[in-house]
Amino acid sequence: MAKSKTIKVDYLARVEGEGALYIRYDDAGVHDVKLKIFEPPRFFEGFMRGRDFREAPDITARICGICPIAYQMSAVHAMEDALGLTLPPELHALRRLIYCGEWIESHTLHIYMLHAPDFLGYPGAVAMAKDHPQIVQDGLSIKKAGNAIVGLLGGREVHPINVRVGGFYRVPSAGELQPLREQLLHGRDMAMETVRWAVSLPFPKFERALSEQYEFVALSHSNEYPMNRGSIVSTRGLAIPVRDYDSHFREEHVEYSSALHSTLIERGAYFVGPMARYNLNYDRLSPMVRQVAGEMGFPPFCANPFHSIVVRSLEVLFAFDEAVRLIDEYRKPDVAYISAETHAGTGYGATEAPRGLLYHRYSIDDAGKITEAKIVAPTSQNQKTIEDDLRLMLPKFMHLPEKQLQAQCEQAIRNYDPCISCSTHFLKMNLQRVERTSS
Amino acid sequence: MSDWAVISLGNRFRGDDSVGPYVLHRLRPHLEPAVPCIENGGDIASLLEVWKDRHVCMVDAVAADDLATGAILRLDGLAQEILPSLCTTSSHGINLGEALEMGRLLQALPQRLEIYGICGENFAISAGLSPAVQAAAEIVEQEILALLNTYSGGSPCTNNR
Repeated sequence: MAKSKTIKVDYLARVEGEGALYIRYDDAGVHDVKLKIFEPPRFFEGFMRGRDFREAPDITARICGICPIAYQMSAVHAMEDALGLTLPPELHALRRLIYCGEWIESHTLHIYMLHAPDFLGYPGAVAMAKDHPQIVQDGLSIKKAGNAIVGLLGGREVHPINVRVGGFYRVPSAGELQPLREQLLHGRDMAMETVRWAVSLPFPKFERALSEQYEFVALSHSNEYPMNRGSIVSTRGLAIPVRDYDSHFREEHVEYSSALHSTLIERGAYFVGPMARYNLNYDRLSPMVRQVAGEMGFPPFCANPFHSIVVRSLEVLFAFDEAVRLIDEYRKPDVAYISAETHAGTGYGATEAPRGLLYHRYSIDDAGKITEAKIVAPTSQNQKTIEDDLRLMLPKFMHLPEKQLQAQCEQAIRNYDPCISCSTHFLKMNLQRVERTSS
Repeated sequence: MSDWAVISLGNRFRGDDSVGPYVLHRLRPHLEPAVPCIENGGDIASLLEVWKDRHVCMVDAVAADDLATGAILRLDGLAQEILPSLCTTSSHGINLGEALEMGRLLQALPQRLEIYGICGENFAISAGLSPAVQAAAEIVEQEILALLNTYSGGSPCTNNR
């Protein structure tokens, strides 16, 4: 009987959600990788059945404390699709502005508090702050600017309440946005420094072989870097409207996880998130961001997931640049929202949450009650890719001492900034090394 | 009074984890705008912003096997050890204890931190508050009102006499 050695860490901190990671390997390779998630967001889907369609943005915002805007945006877009509402460009611009705030908040939290400690050799942000308080302070300052956008447009910084189906409850005057603009200009300068700092971090070398290349999936829009709208495209030629999502993507139950695994039908794992957006939409980034990326020698296509921290920092810079542009071009909408007669229908919405594509589908009845809800969060879409990364990566790092190997695995998971169920606790990790058998 | 704030942690859709927002909801009509009532549903890092240099009352759910549902823990957050808290549910891994440590390192601590932890039993999504937790919440509400009345120079709340 083969001897086995089990290494346990209490939890993998700095990810969102409750779950566990199990890896069984020996000198010959990795035999088993299971990312186990105990609690799927399906509870929220059941919870919403029977509720009024107008409640969906506020209910779904509670799924995640880090990306409530993304949930609100996908929900309102799906409801507007069901009702046949078309928003004027001024309201779209405001929604894009609040989304910029969320990207800044969420990405900056990830970059400075969650992922940077991995690169600098610390177990967490607190330990890192002891030696590098300025890094953490910078992160908090940048994040504060994102909070200011969400606070102004959302009514409050956490779990904002101003977004509604058809628009907003209240829209700001141009004058109200001006103080924010000054804060954003300062934040943009700091974001530029973040890119320079992120590029200088030590990156593990990890590139997949040609046959194992990722399929990146993101929204794409003819003239916008994707946030709120667009069609779904991939690096292997997928190009579909959002309403066709269910025809091309499938969610599956796996034995070891209560969360569903999302795959592309007939092709399997795919990769959503900042790297997918960047790789598929580089030419939609603002000239300033492309210029900074070029000056840093960072390429327009990136396939090393450890570089995702650089891509996030470029997206933060973009979000600042875009937010300033939106404020400069802002014209107060004639109405804060538009409405339509309630009728039965099914609507589809997909937006780009900080962690990637977030798909919502709702059916409502003639009274406006939700009869069916489907939410596919980015993390469920990346689960298989995370597992594949670990399976492919471990052989390259097996020579490392076990503690370092664990740290490498945790860092690889954090490349995806997983928000496992958007409302749970931690991820236990179990690395099991078994003696190699003759068979 | 403006140097005081009441902050809740927890998710209002997760059963007893919603006790913080519940207390905050009851306090708002009595306190705002003089005392900001800040619901923090998960962004623990933002605590550093909102609590810095303030006197803070914080309400959160806790889970403790050896305490009855509805038991109230009163802690001096700056002097006592902070127990593991369900406030980590949406913190992206930065819990209250870490936020306090970060606050120390970055000179971003509150001047005073009164933590009211209420022991819950059911944290399932869409569950309501357990009766014992709801009763405890109303006690905490009165205690916070009394504390704030004391520091505002007004007489302590005597409604429950």
